[in-house]
Amino acid sequence: MTDHFAWLLVWGTLVGLDLASVAQVMIARPFVAGTVAGILLGDPLAGGTVGMVLELFALDVLPVGVARYPDYGIGAVAAAATAAGSPGALGTGIAVCVGLVVAYVGELGIHVLREANTRDVRRHRAELDGGHLHAVRVLHLRGLLRDVVRSMTVSLIGLALAVAVYQWPLVTRAGAVLVTLVLIGASIGAAVSGVLQAVGRSAVLRWFGLGIVLGTIFVVVIQ
Amino acid sequence: MSPLVGVWLRTLLVQASFSFDRMIGVGTAWAIQPLLRDLPPDRYRQAMCRATQFFNAHPYLAGMAIGALARVEHQELPEDTIVRLRQALVSPLGSVGDKLIWAGLMPASVGVGLIVGALASPLAGAITFLVLYNTGHFTLRTWALREGWHNGRDVSRSLTARGIQRGLRLAGPAGALAVGLAIPIAGGWLARGFALQTKVSVALVAALAVALAQWILPSFRGLRFGVVAALVALLVGWLW
Repeated sequence: MTDHFAWLLVWGTLVGLDLASVAQVMIARPFVAGTVAGILLGDPLAGGTVGMVLELFALDVLPVGVARYPDYGIGAVAAAATAAGSPGALGTGIAVCVGLVVAYVGELGIHVLREANTRDVRRHRAELDGGHLHAVRVLHLRGLLRDVVRSMTVSLIGLALAVAVYQWPLVTRAGAVLVTLVLIGASIGAAVSGVLQAVGRSAVLRWFGLGIVLGTIFVVVIQ
Repeated sequence: MSPLVGVWLRTLLVQASFSFDRMIGVGTAWAIQPLLRDLPPDRYRQAMCRATQFFNAHPYLAGMAIGALARVEHQELPEDTIVRLRQALVSPLGSVGDKLIWAGLMPASVGVGLIVGALASPLAGAITFLVLYNTGHFTLRTWALREGWHNGRDVSRSLTARGIQRGLRLAGPAGALAVGLAIPIAGGWLARGFALQTKVSVALVAALAVALAQWILPSFRGLRFGVVAALVALLVGWLW
């Protein structure tokens, strides 16, 4: 992983910026971020697998307005860095643990960033209310730079955690498999409860139920 | 580069200076500026002052407000009319964007991406998701800015257009159906290679997570449940 550290740091930073500040083309979705990180590490399957687990967790979240949302994208990059090279179920669970912790750190970072932006805007209230373009430019650029720093810092923390977990494994092989099973189950539960929370008892619930039934039939019968 | 293209590019960064006081107000001011440059100096200063005030909208539809507000600034409408238009756009642009994108296009694209990822390869799934999602995303961004700039104060007509109304009706069901299909297929793919009793264990953990979130501790879901489940599993795994 250390051979690809610089590329992963760049990718993590881009992913963090995409979450809200830049374009939102959704490279920040954990499934995308994890798969690309896996490709950078030469193990796209490991990256895609941890990305898919974190994607199910992310379905619980709507990135709306001032809502606080975890940064699952950078979490997926760190998780892919942890899982790459590990055989199947042994690496997935521990890697997803790393991803969840990093996603939470990213969430805290977003809150800190927005508080800093708010203080900056309050300090320059007079210039803004006077319509000064220079103040608008400076505040906007500073906000962007803060998010670059946040994304890079969270990525660094995530990659450092990945290196630490890789070098000092926390659990035995059986324990690693147990963690994987629990987190796959938890991610499915998070996705289902997130959608149920979002649709409530509206007519959309029927479409979700139909999808679950058809998907389950597909898995049980056809696969 | 035409001012409208400049504004379109700037709308990609409209949330970069998000603050709790003015939300995307500063970003909106930065984005609208190329369309205000040719105003007389006094009018320009007043328009920029108005542009920096509180504003919020779905980021993909912010261009509609930016275009409409730039148009009415050029029409030299009274200040209170411009301020009222700005305030009136906040709620519908947020609501329509959330329903179309966060509750429709996003889960629908994620669902299809996960299904392709499970049935073909993760890379194919990721590419499918990015293409599907961004086709809708960039179409909406471009349409929104153009509609705002052309319609000015009558921009609300664009939000009640037949295409948008149909999109709003279809978005929720499409997103829910795609995610509903994707969850068991992705779950089945993730648990591939495990014995049947292990797969049943995975299903039991999922059922526990849903039961906790729905009936016992509604705030204990998503990341929180994941972190606690991970800690418990790590502890048991470490003791094992």
